[in-house]
Amino acid sequence: MALLEVHHLVKAFGGLRANDDVSFDLQKGELLGLIGPNGAGKTTLFNGIAGMFPPTSGRIVFDGEDITGIGAPAVARKGLARTFQVYVAAGDLNVLENVMVGCFLKTASPERARTAAEEILDDLGLKDLKHSLVSELPVAAQKRVTMATALGTRPKLLLLDEVAAGLNPSEIEDIMASIRHIHNDLGVTVMLIEHVMELVMNISDRVIVLDYGRKIADGDPQAIARNPQVIKAYLGERYVREHGQGLEAKGR
Amino acid sequence: MEAIKNAVNFSDFPRIDRLVAGAVFCFLAAYPIFPHSAFAMATMIQFFIFSLYGMGWNTIGGYGGQVDLGEAQYVGIGAYTTMVCLLRWDIPFWISMPIGACLAVGWSFVIGYPLFKLKGHYFAIASIATSLVLKDLFEVWKFVGASRGLGILPYKYQTPDFLRLIFKEDVYYYYTIFGFFIAGLLFMNWFRKSRLGFQLRSIKDNEDMARSLGINVHWAKIKTYAIATAFVSVVGSFHAVYVKNIEPEDTMSLDLSILIALMAMLGGAGSFWGPIIGAGVLIPLKSYLKEWLGAAAGLVGIDLIIYGVIIMLISAFEPRGIWGIVQRTRRRKI
Repeated sequence: MALLEVHHLVKAFGGLRANDDVSFDLQKGELLGLIGPNGAGKTTLFNGIAGMFPPTSGRIVFDGEDITGIGAPAVARKGLARTFQVYVAAGDLNVLENVMVGCFLKTASPERARTAAEEILDDLGLKDLKHSLVSELPVAAQKRVTMATALGTRPKLLLLDEVAAGLNPSEIEDIMASIRHIHNDLGVTVMLIEHVMELVMNISDRVIVLDYGRKIADGDPQAIARNPQVIKAYLGERYVREHGQGLEAKGR
Repeated sequence: MEAIKNAVNFSDFPRIDRLVAGAVFCFLAAYPIFPHSAFAMATMIQFFIFSLYGMGWNTIGGYGGQVDLGEAQYVGIGAYTTMVCLLRWDIPFWISMPIGACLAVGWSFVIGYPLFKLKGHYFAIASIATSLVLKDLFEVWKFVGASRGLGILPYKYQTPDFLRLIFKEDVYYYYTIFGFFIAGLLFMNWFRKSRLGFQLRSIKDNEDMARSLGINVHWAKIKTYAIATAFVSVVGSFHAVYVKNIEPEDTMSLDLSILIALMAMLGGAGSFWGPIIGAGVLIPLKSYLKEWLGAAAGLVGIDLIIYGVIIMLISAFEPRGIWGIVQRTRRRKI
């Protein structure tokens, strides 16, 4: 059974259709990549699935239950967690306390939340940072803290929004290992938005491509890399016209 | 069980904090033994009253970051409930106080629900408005004495009256409010470590993030507002029997609302010691400036100017208040 089913999802902001009739399934245990040029509606799709706003039309089914329009807190309680692309932590919560906030979803006891948070931090190799303020950490560490916080809610499905953006190659290696660990060892189904292609193509079982709010491709990474429509979306009409023949041939 | 353990456990504070707090605590416990003027005693009681107001405000305003400028209405609800109960039906303080708190909490749900649909400055302004509306209603409500308010005639009672909290000597009031102060400290110590406390700090940090972690932001704010309200209302009840004369102008005024918020911000909003430090600095300053400069030299209102200046300096220099300065110097040393 699919863990997540998205049926004909539309999200319009005034005249702009940020998501236009997007449908896809996500199987339990899968690692799904979501790519697309800037402004393709990837983050909007994440926000829609996570219940940050009600969709204009369409249906979202998670773990057999219709979660359309039930709101972000309720979605989180069903076991769907997400990270944010831009995370500004201006507050006075340190790393451990941040992760504890996530853990408080499953327990009201501060002791248990603390123990759970410490386990997660150990697991992701963030133990030494637990007393630092999030705002004082380098970007790479901040991204890992947001992942740890989301994991605190014990999700079945984790949506990662550009966790590798702005990182250097060795940091990307590290975060890739973390994602693999979360997926393989902790058994969490993962869906990720990513611009760093070597990460997304390397790690995903399947990739979905959005362009102008529409889903233009859905398949395994090799097929996506050769898909002319995807190349067109990324490189533009002219490039494809000039190199079109060759690409088509390779794609078949 | 765990809640009680957390309330009495202060071990996560640095040793120096605990030493200073312990010394201050001993001083406060022994204060009435030392020779003191009646004026100093009254100032100390005001200090406790305002620390407690500040602690209540600090839950929603400090940890939650919702700048609430309408707490005076709950002072009024508590004070009037106790006063009306006592004068009309001779109901003792220890019964009217929880009734007042319940009424205040009920009222806080009624106005909290729409109020917390607003954010930032809009919330602050709306909170002022709700308080002023209630004050205006009390000013024309004959049952509670309208704008002249209500008063207790202490000679009617056999003092010391521990049930109705009517005393001749201030030392009784001192130890009563000191008891409330200890209870307030323990409650706040529990609160800052509780799930709700963490959720609020997360809300203050980033509301979208908080929602995505399964926190019902609106409900968490309403709940905390109710806690703040109960705190303030209980102290309002005490204020009524202590001052013995209440009227809408002094128990529900905008001045009082602002003073409550300001005090906590001066000390350090969102920190455990902030409201106490704020009250400890501002209350003596306020009453002595008034006494020396206002009454003695005939410069009425100069106290307001001076503490206004101090607050401007603090907020320009360190928005996290006095406690923020302490934390900053401490971090620099390490």
